[in-house]
Amino acid sequence: MAVETDFSQDGKKLTIKIKGRFDFGKHQEFRDAYERQPRRPDSVVVDLKDTTYLDSSALGMLLLLRDHAGGDDSDVRVVHASSDVRKILAISNFEKLFDIS
Amino acid sequence: MPAEQALTVLVAEDGAADRLLLAQIVRRQGHQVFTAENGEQAVALFIERRPQLVLLDALMPVMDGFEAARQIKTLAGEALVPIIFLTSLNEEEGLVRCLEAGGDDFMAKPYSAVILGAKIRAMDRLRRLQATVLEQRDQITRHHHHLLNEQRVAKAVFDKVAHSGCLAAPNIRYLQSPYALFNGDLMLAAFTPSGDMRVLLGDFTGHGLPAAVGAMPLAEVFYGMTAKGYGMAQVLREMNAKLKRILPVDMFCCALLLNLSMQRGSVEVWNGGMPDGYRLAVDGQVLSVLSSRHLPLGILDAERFDDSTEVLPLAPGERLLLLSDGVLDTADYQERLFGVQRLRRVLADNRDPVRLFDEVMQALERFGGRPRDDISLCDIRMFSAEERVPAPMIYSDSGRSSPLDWSLGFEVRGQSLNRFNPVPYLVQLLQEIHGLRARTGNLHSVLSELYSNALEHGVLGLDSQLKRDVQGFADYYQERARRLGVLTDGYVRIDFQVEPQADGGRLMIEVRDSGAGFDVQRVLSRPSLAQELSGRGLNLVRRLASSAHWSDGGRCAHVEFVW
Amino acid sequence: MTDMHIDHKVLSDLREIMEDGYLQLVQTFLDDSEQRLDQLHAAKSAEELSSAAHSFKGSSSNMGAVVLASLCQQLEERAQRPPLYGIEDLISRIDLEFVEVQRFYRGEQQRISAG
Repeated sequence: MAVETDFSQDGKKLTIKIKGRFDFGKHQEFRDAYERQPRRPDSVVVDLKDTTYLDSSALGMLLLLRDHAGGDDSDVRVVHASSDVRKILAISNFEKLFDIS
Repeated sequence: MPAEQALTVLVAEDGAADRLLLAQIVRRQGHQVFTAENGEQAVALFIERRPQLVLLDALMPVMDGFEAARQIKTLAGEALVPIIFLTSLNEEEGLVRCLEAGGDDFMAKPYSAVILGAKIRAMDRLRRLQATVLEQRDQITRHHHHLLNEQRVAKAVFDKVAHSGCLAAPNIRYLQSPYALFNGDLMLAAFTPSGDMRVLLGDFTGHGLPAAVGAMPLAEVFYGMTAKGYGMAQVLREMNAKLKRILPVDMFCCALLLNLSMQRGSVEVWNGGMPDGYRLAVDGQVLSVLSSRHLPLGILDAERFDDSTEVLPLAPGERLLLLSDGVLDTADYQERLFGVQRLRRVLADNRDPVRLFDEVMQALERFGGRPRDDISLCDIRMFSAEERVPAPMIYSDSGRSSPLDWSLGFEVRGQSLNRFNPVPYLVQLLQEIHGLRARTGNLHSVLSELYSNALEHGVLGLDSQLKRDVQGFADYYQERARRLGVLTDGYVRIDFQVEPQADGGRLMIEVRDSGAGFDVQRVLSRPSLAQELSGRGLNLVRRLASSAHWSDGGRCAHVEFVW
Repeated sequence: MTDMHIDHKVLSDLREIMEDGYLQLVQTFLDDSEQRLDQLHAAKSAEELSSAAHSFKGSSSNMGAVVLASLCQQLEERAQRPPLYGIEDLISRIDLEFVEVQRFYRGEQQRISAG
């Protein structure tokens, strides 16, 4: 699967992993990953280790996730982004909304 | 035994007994049958009755099965009319001939009702599949035309909204695809009443109508507020709030907003999510880079939105190059991107600024990239005084009632000075005076100049000598923001007095500040160029108004407009 | 009644399929076949002969006249390999076989018309 989900032991942290291109084709899968969970997690981690490419629709999807996770009160982290992906996130200054590492 | 679907079947067979038998077999399977004795009859019957399936004997007199098949297939056109050849030919050559003539299957003699039934059902499935494909293709074509028409209409509406722009000004050169709107790419330009040029380069997420729809409200805000002389911060806040309100959560607009002020020799910049813009010297050298420092519009709510801008010097002849990410994202056949490095090389190699655009486009073409629909380029040269264009005047009344005998005092104090600029509202008010409408631009320039003097030099005590170079500009505006942020006391007061006079009237403006004042004579006696760029623009004010003088140690400016 | 000349499975299928049209089919076949025999005898070239044999093969196989069909098959193949020695003999055998087939189907007609 191109979008994998994983819950931590205590069920409080949801990790979503994106493989390959993070673009509009992943829209439904990505939404299902956080909407179809039985419990709302306290924090969400988006793991981009195997993500090769990110476009503006992916940025939009991250905004949807953030909104779903509580907006300004949310705890959404974006981790393991490659330098190319980080550049894209940096131009849009998304580090002002997400913890990016 | 009833068939799944009753078909009309043509049976062409020259043997009379065989023909009888075959017709009966097919009829018993629930189909409607008509028969022919030879190929010629078969074709004629096909034209007349248009059967859905054809059983054709390969060897017939007059016209054989092969020729009949060829003609029938041609007559059938796009639709699939399955042809089953009846043949005892068992050499490969014979069977190949059947296929080449357009046959879809064979039946050998002696006829087996079971096998024939199975073949007919299989052929019918194919026939219906083809019919479905054709119908869907036609539906798609219809929808496509419909969509194209919707886009045409959307674009027409948008063009009407965007028509008041000044992209055709002599100091702007731009390139935009006709599909730009439907790629979410936006390019707007307008003059403020005081003659500043404001430019917006935008890029909405998404494609097609969803991307285009956000452009219209944004353009209305941009043009409306710019024409009324609102400052960049106010326009940005309004644009952000509007988009945040109307766009869904996952949509936003990357934007680069610029304000070129010939008066102040500067450009004010706000970049949220757009690629770097470039500030170029007269010889084309890159002087500075206008980088994205903000989140795009439509994401943050009003409390968190950051409207802070960067101010850089821009002398006449210096230029700004702006571009959308379609330029950098142009890919070659190996999916490599054109990128910033290549663009910087084009900028570095450029010798003649007039040719810069062409050189960028040629570099993109040479790169071997597939041409994209979302390439937007904009080259703006700092204009000279002659190139200014008066802004269109916006009136909300019929022009018949004009108050001529009134006064007004307006004082802004403390922290209100930080977030609120009263000048646009006051100019609106002054537009009630019909005799002054032709000089709205001058009114705006004078009031803006006096207000910014009063605020920056008066209340905040900033020294404009700082604005000598790029770093100086940055320092000055940083200090301005800092001082405004901690301001608790201080005020700027504006008083208007309007009196009728003979056939016309007189407007007296007083702008007072709580600052330390300045040596008016000394400033007025400085050479005028030095004065205008880093001084108090006093000569400008004297030039534009009917008269001007200062009192109270420079703390109070008196200006008159007579008509 | 077993009969070497006619495949009775084919025969019973024919009766079932044709229903009331069975008699008409039989008559048509008998008329048709006489024409085909004439064609055989009148053939002037090997091609004509082969072609006529081919057609007769088809219709006789549909009627279950397996021996007749087989003989026509042999004739069709022989006629394509000149010189045509022994062809007269083959044609005579076809004539004879048809007499048997004709006798059988006339019997069918009588049987059905009577009962």
